[in-house]
Amino acid sequence: MIIKQGLTYLTALFLGTGSLYSDAQEISGLEIMQLVEDAQRRTNDSSFNRMQLSSCKFGVTDGRITCAERPRVKSLESVSKNYGVELKDTKSVTITLEPAAERGIGMLSYAYDEAGRDNETWLYLSTLGRVKRIAAGDTDEETEPASLFGSEFTTEDTDTGKLEEYSFNILEETTTSGREVWKLEMIPNEERARKTRYSRQVHYVDKERLVTLRSEMYDRYDKEIKRLMASRVELVNDVWMSRSLTMMNLVTNRLSNMAFVEIYTDLSIDDEFLTQRTLTDAAYRETELEGLRAQLNQ
Amino acid sequence: MERILLALTKLFSKTPNFILHYKRQVLAVLLAISAFLFYGIFSLTVFDMSSDSFLEDENPAQIALDEFRRQFGGDDSVFIIYAARDGDVFSRESLTAIQNLTQDLVYWENLDRSNYGDVPWDELSHIRRVQSLGNIRVQESVGDTLRSDRLIPRQLPETESELQALKRNALGQKDFVGAFYSPDGLYGAILVQTDYGTIPVEGYESAVDVDGIELDDGFASFDLSFDETAEVQEVEFQDTDQLAYFDFDTALTEVYENYESQFDFYPVGTPSMMGQMQGVLDQMAILGTLMVLIFSLLLWILFRSGSALVWPMVTIALSVAWCWGITVWLGVTISTMIALTVLLIFAVGIADCVHVMSAYFTFRRDGIDHYEALSRAYEKVSLAILLTTMTTAAGVSVLATSSLEPIKVFAIMSAMGVVLAFLFTIFLLPILLDLWHPSSIDNKEKSSLADRLGFRWHSLENRTQLLIAAVVAVIVFLSLGFLVGAFINFVIGLTYWIVNYQRVILAKVPAIVESSPRLIILIFGVGFAICAYGATKILIDTNIAEMFRSDHPLTIAVEVVDENMSGAQNMEIMIDTKKTDGMLNVRLLSAVDQLQSRIEERYPEIIGRTNSLANIVKDTNQAMNGDDPAFYRIPESDQAISQLLFMFNSANPDDRRNIVSDDYSRSHISVTARNMGSYEYKALFEEIASDVDDTFKDVEPEFPGLDVNLTGSMATLMVMADEVANSQFNSFALALLIVSLIMMISLGSIKGGAMGMVPNAIPAFLAFGLMGLFGIPLDTDTLLIAPIILGIAVDDTIHFMTHYRIELSKTGSIGMALDSAIKEVGQAVMFTTMVIGLGFAVLSFSDYLGMAKVGFFGSMAIFVALLCDLFLIPAMIIIFKPKFGVKNVDTQTNFHEATT
Repeated sequence: MIIKQGLTYLTALFLGTGSLYSDAQEISGLEIMQLVEDAQRRTNDSSFNRMQLSSCKFGVTDGRITCAERPRVKSLESVSKNYGVELKDTKSVTITLEPAAERGIGMLSYAYDEAGRDNETWLYLSTLGRVKRIAAGDTDEETEPASLFGSEFTTEDTDTGKLEEYSFNILEETTTSGREVWKLEMIPNEERARKTRYSRQVHYVDKERLVTLRSEMYDRYDKEIKRLMASRVELVNDVWMSRSLTMMNLVTNRLSNMAFVEIYTDLSIDDEFLTQRTLTDAAYRETELEGLRAQLNQ
Repeated sequence: MERILLALTKLFSKTPNFILHYKRQVLAVLLAISAFLFYGIFSLTVFDMSSDSFLEDENPAQIALDEFRRQFGGDDSVFIIYAARDGDVFSRESLTAIQNLTQDLVYWENLDRSNYGDVPWDELSHIRRVQSLGNIRVQESVGDTLRSDRLIPRQLPETESELQALKRNALGQKDFVGAFYSPDGLYGAILVQTDYGTIPVEGYESAVDVDGIELDDGFASFDLSFDETAEVQEVEFQDTDQLAYFDFDTALTEVYENYESQFDFYPVGTPSMMGQMQGVLDQMAILGTLMVLIFSLLLWILFRSGSALVWPMVTIALSVAWCWGITVWLGVTISTMIALTVLLIFAVGIADCVHVMSAYFTFRRDGIDHYEALSRAYEKVSLAILLTTMTTAAGVSVLATSSLEPIKVFAIMSAMGVVLAFLFTIFLLPILLDLWHPSSIDNKEKSSLADRLGFRWHSLENRTQLLIAAVVAVIVFLSLGFLVGAFINFVIGLTYWIVNYQRVILAKVPAIVESSPRLIILIFGVGFAICAYGATKILIDTNIAEMFRSDHPLTIAVEVVDENMSGAQNMEIMIDTKKTDGMLNVRLLSAVDQLQSRIEERYPEIIGRTNSLANIVKDTNQAMNGDDPAFYRIPESDQAISQLLFMFNSANPDDRRNIVSDDYSRSHISVTARNMGSYEYKALFEEIASDVDDTFKDVEPEFPGLDVNLTGSMATLMVMADEVANSQFNSFALALLIVSLIMMISLGSIKGGAMGMVPNAIPAFLAFGLMGLFGIPLDTDTLLIAPIILGIAVDDTIHFMTHYRIELSKTGSIGMALDSAIKEVGQAVMFTTMVIGLGFAVLSFSDYLGMAKVGFFGSMAIFVALLCDLFLIPAMIIIFKPKFGVKNVDTQTNFHEATT
C-alpha cells in the first residue's frame, strides 16, 4: 500500500534497539537505509490501518507550526500485503470514508522493488463507477509524481525500494529534537534524477531507534521545497515508528499530516482483495472488510 | 508689480559682480556640496526599472496581481514562435530539433558552455516550465488506462506515414492548435514560463527555518487543532528589474539561436520585449552622445568661443548632478524617467545660458568691458529667465498630482532641476565666464579658433567653398547613411545660413510682419485650427506593436504571433468564491464555462483561447467515459466534479495547483488575446467585466462574496498606461493655465498674457494635432513631451515679451520696442532653437518610437515656436497694440522705411 510504504524510509521503522549500530563509523548511508527498509517490510506485511489525512495552510504561533485554518480531513482505510521474491513487492488498497463527496474513492497500487519496473496505480471513482489505471505513458522523464489523495504527499515521497538508484553520504552526526541522529544525504543517480522532483534529500535518522525524524527535499536549484517532520514515535509491535507524519510544502505554505490512528499487522488477507474487484464491487469489499475487522477484535 | 520687477532687474544687474567678489568662497561651497551630492549619486542611487514600480503597492490592480501570483505563480512568460525552414514543424528534422531545444531549455545546466558565448547562465534558473511540441502531453483513455503520453513520442516513428498520422492527430487537438503550433503546421511555439514577479524580496526568510521552531503538540495527538490567528507568512515579491530581463533574454537567446539553421525565431512576451530594450538603450547612448555633440558644436560655432561651449555644459551637468544627488539623498527611488528629466534640464539650461551669453557677447562685441557687459547682460535677461523658470517648473509640477509614483518623482525632480539650472546660471555662470572668456572679441590676433576658421573660410573663393561643402556632404552621407547623413547635412546647412545671415534675416522680419500682419495671423490661425481639429482626433493608446518601427524584430514577432497563433497576450480572470470547495459547485463551474464560450464567441478577432478548471473537468469527464466526445461537458453533480478533479489532481497535482487553490475556493480563467493597444484593451476589459456580471448573476445568491476580477501582468500594464495617459493629458491643460496666469501677472496685462498664451499653445497643439491627423497614437512616452515642449516654447515667448515690455516702457514706442525685441531677443531665441531643436531631432532616429516621437515632434514644435515668436507675436502686437500699462505709447510702426 502506497501510504504504508510511506513509512519505509520516511518514518524509518526499525526493530529492536539500535545498540548494534551505535558505532556509527562502521555503517554506511546505504546500509542504514537498507536496514530501515528491511524492517519496514517485515511490519508492512498483511496489515490493516485506519488513517487520517489532514491538510491546511500553516502558520506560526509562539514558535510552533500550526494549522492557520480548519484542516480538510480525509478518513481512509487501507489494507496491504507483500509478495514476490523475499516479499519485497507490496500490493495495497486504500478506500476513502470521508469526506462524503469522495466516499468510496479507492486506490489500488502495486509497488515493485526491482529497479526499472514502474509501480502501478489504479483509481476508482465511485460516482462514475469507473476504474482507471493512472499511467504516465512513456515513463522516461518529466512525469509528475501523483499526489496522494490530494495531499502534499506524492508517490515520490512514498515510493520504496530501488535504493541502488541513489548514492548516500553521511553528512554529520548531530542531534535533533534531543535525539542523536545521522544526517544523511541521498542523491539520485542520472537515471533516477530524470524521474524525480528532488535533486537531493537529507534525512535525519534517529541513531538509536532508526526512525527518520526529519527529511528535507531540495529542488534542482538546491532550494528546500518540502520538509517532512515526524512526531509521536512509538513502539508498535516491537518496531519504532512515527505515527504522525507531517509534510510541509515550503513553496505554498501548506502542510499535510498523515496520522496512523489504528495499526494492525499479521492479519490473514485474501489475495483477491488486492485486485480491482475490491474497488468496483462494494458488496465484496464490505464483506471482506468485515472479516478483517473480526480478526482485529480477536 | 511694476516696482517689484524693476527692483528685481536692478538686483540681478548687481549680482554678477557681487558674486565675483566672493568667487573663491562661492566656488568652494559649490564644490563641497557637489562632492557630497556626487558621493550620493554613486553610493545611494536606487534604480527601479520595473513596470510594477509605476503602480503604488495599494493600487487595486497591483493587489489583484500580487494575489494572483501568490496563488498561482508568476505569469511572465516568453512565447518563442518558430517557423521551420523546411516549411513543416512536423517534419522529422523539425520535430527532432524542437525536442532537442526543449531539452536544452529544461536542462540548460547540462549544456556544454564552451559551445556558447559568455552569457549570464544563472538567469536561466528563472525558467519555471518549458512547453512545446517536444514535450506536451495529451490525456487519453486507452483500454482501462488513463494515459498521459507525449503528443510526439520521444522516439519518432520510423515511417513517413506514421509521422503524417502524428501530425493529423496533433492538428486535431483543439487545446493545442494556436497555442503550440499553427493550424497549417508552418509555425510552432515554445512557451517558457518564468518565476519573475514571484521572487521573494531580498532577505526573505521562511518562518519555519527559524532555529528551535517545532510542530505544535496537536500533531502528535491525532487531534489537529487550528489557530486562525497564527501568522501565515505572506511572501512579498520583488518588483522585477528590467535589467534582470535583459540578462535572462540574453541567455535564453543564446540557447535557442543554436537552432537557427532549422528555425527562424520570433520571441514575444515581457522578458523578451524588455530584452529588446537593451538594444534601444545602446542606441540611446549613441544618439544621446550625438545630441550632446550637436549641442556643443552649435554652441561653439554660434558663439565662436570655446567658453560658450564648455560653461553651459558645466552648468547643465551640475544642475543634473545636484538634482539627482538631492533626490537620492532624500532616499527616493529613481526610474528610467530620469532620462526625460535630463532632457528637460538640458533644454532649459541651454536656453538660460544662451540668453545670458548672447547678451554678454553682444555687449562685448559692442566694445563694453567684461564686468560691465556681465552686469548689463544679467540686467537684460535675468528677469525673463526667472519667469521662464517659474513657468516651466510650475508646468512640470502639475504632474506631481499623478497617482503614479515614477511620474511624481519625475515632476518633482524636473521642477527642481529647472530651478537649479536657473540658480547655477545666476550664481555660477558669472564666475565661470570670469575664469575663461574670449579676452577680446574683436582682436583678430587673439581671436578664437572658431573665429579664425570662419575668417579663413570667408577668404576662400566661392568655387573652393562649394567644393569643400560638396566633399563634406558626400563624406557625411557615406559615413552616416542616407537618413542620418541627410539630417546632419541639413544641420550643417542651416547652421551655416544662420551664422552668416542671422542679422540680415532678423532685420527683414519686422518689415515682413508689418506688411501683412493679418495674413500672418490668418496663416497661423488656419494652422492652429487644423491642429486643434487634429488634436480632437487623437487617440491615447499604448501599443506594444507600435513601440518600435515596423521592421523591428519585435514588431514582426508580434505580427507573426497574431496572424498564425492565437495571440501571445495573457490575461487572467480571477475567481474567488470565498467558499471552501466553491469551485466544485456545478452551477458555478457551468457559469465559468459559459463565460468562456461567451467571450470566445463575442470577440473572435481578439480572444484566441481560454482555459480554466471547466476545461479540465470536461476533458477528464470525456477521458473517464471512453473518450466519448458526448461527455465533453460539466457533469450534473457536485460530487462528480469533485471526483473528476480528484482524479486529475492525483495524476497532475502541479497542473491542478496552477489552476485552482488547494481549498478549491479560488480559480482563474486564462485568456489568450491578440495584441492591441491599451485603448482597445480598456474597452475590452470593460465589456468583459459586464459579461462577467451577466454570467455570474444567477449564482450570486449562492456565493454572496463572489469576486471575479480581470488581472495579469498585461492587464496591469494597460491600466498603468491608461492612467499615465489620462493624468498627463489632464495636467497638460492645467499647466497651460498656470503658465498663462504667471505670464499675465508678470507682464501686468491680461491682454499681453492672453496673447502670450497663443504662441505657447500652438507648438504643443501642433504636435498633438499632427499626431491626431496622421493617426499616430499618443502613448505614455509621447505624452511626456508636452510639458517639455510647453516649457521651451514658453521660454522663448517670455524672453520676447519681457524684452518688448521693457523696451516699450523705455522708448514709449511700439515700433521701436518691437524692432529691438526682434533683433536682440531674436538672435538668442534663434540660437536656443537651433541648439535644442537640432539636438532633439537626433532622437528621431531611435528605433524606439517612444523616443523617436519625442525627438521628432519635440524639435518640430521648437522650430514652430521660433516662427511664432518672430512672426506671430509681432503681428499680434501690431494689430492689438498691447500697452502693458505703459502710458502715452506711440502705436505707429514703420519698419518698411527703416529697412529701405
